[in-house]
Amino acid sequence: MSKEKNSYKGSISSSYKTKELLKNTILLGIIATAGAFFTWWIMLMIFTDGLEKSVVVPIEVTYLVFIIVYSVFITIIVLIYLYNTAYVKNFSYKISEDHIVIKHGVLTKIVATIPYSRIQNINIVNGVFDRMFKTFTVKIETAGSSAAAASAKSGHVKPEGYIPGLKDPKTIEKKIKEMMTKYSAVPSSLEDKIFKPEELAFDNFISYILSKMREGEKLKTSITELREKANLSAADLAEKVGVPLQTINYLAEGRYNPSLALTYKIAEVLHCKIEDLFKLV
Amino acid sequence: MKFKKKITSRIKQFREELELPQLELAKLVGVSRQTIYYLERGSYNPSLTISFKISEILKKPIHDIFYQEPVIKDILEGKSLAELREVAEIAGISLEKLASLSEIDDEHLTKDFKEDTLIKIALGLGIDFEDLFEKEAEN
Repeated sequence: MSKEKNSYKGSISSSYKTKELLKNTILLGIIATAGAFFTWWIMLMIFTDGLEKSVVVPIEVTYLVFIIVYSVFITIIVLIYLYNTAYVKNFSYKISEDHIVIKHGVLTKIVATIPYSRIQNINIVNGVFDRMFKTFTVKIETAGSSAAAASAKSGHVKPEGYIPGLKDPKTIEKKIKEMMTKYSAVPSSLEDKIFKPEELAFDNFISYILSKMREGEKLKTSITELREKANLSAADLAEKVGVPLQTINYLAEGRYNPSLALTYKIAEVLHCKIEDLFKLV
Repeated sequence: MKFKKKITSRIKQFREELELPQLELAKLVGVSRQTIYYLERGSYNPSLTISFKISEILKKPIHDIFYQEPVIKDILEGKSLAELREVAEIAGISLEKLASLSEIDDEHLTKDFKEDTLIKIALGLGIDFEDLFEKEAEN
């Protein structure tokens, strides 16, 4: 823990080096072996007349291929190991009140700052090699400006924050979530992502200003009354609609602008019209 | 058992009735023209405030502008008669009964069709069952 009151600092475990070493040795080993045998076979075809009678060069010469390929392989493995050692040494992250800072890079130093308002979700990845060394990778997905258009189309978001080789990812995930609920607003709807002032042409600029002027408009909801009328608890409603309870609570407080599809689902469960559920004031 | 539904919009139709160009509507709503374009194509699920604003401007209730339609309706309408016959044969039902799928509501779906018939229909159409129907949440 750092001196700063609410922030959480950490680095990655050195098991990451060992894990990467094993992973690279196995993967590159397979490639190197396959490559060596293939080259050897080609050489046999070209230079000799089968395994027994050599024509151009003696068969022993062809074994050189293995020595060369494997020495290159070992050199690469060693270089990667040295690189990873430096990577682990240079990697650090800090979870503070309004953003996450990830410092990394061996040759080029990168300091990535991710504000909580842009975090879409946090994934904990535990691969095959991760499991052997009991390490985890935390991927923080954000809606970046370049990714926004792509994500609107395909639903995929590039991870921006990437913290590998963690021994205890739950603590970090909990910490990030804790900070997010504490310091960031309710997740913005898709419109906010489509509205990027820097991307707007002049005609769109006018609509942008208009939208900003209209931001005072709020949704008034009678979701709680209708829910009680239907004899459903908030948890029941959440389950029937298929959303987290948090979403229903936010909706009831008027803190969240739902999508039309979600509103239709709620209206269907509560047997009412959308206009009965929400009003724009 | 329920139909899987998607939101289809009649924005284009209503907008043309009012002789309102896409860009004008976008300005009035306070969104970009692309948003209106995607909404008209039905490939974008709008937020509720946007829906309310559009309904206000087009002077139509939300459920008239954005209405839910079973996904299967669209798919059945896109098939030729020969293809529909083939699907009906695979499912072991008459062509009329298959065609009735695009008319009926959730209640009739459970009454008129057995689950394995629906599975066969999905198979015949070459589409995942989950993309066409959804099972109701258990209580």
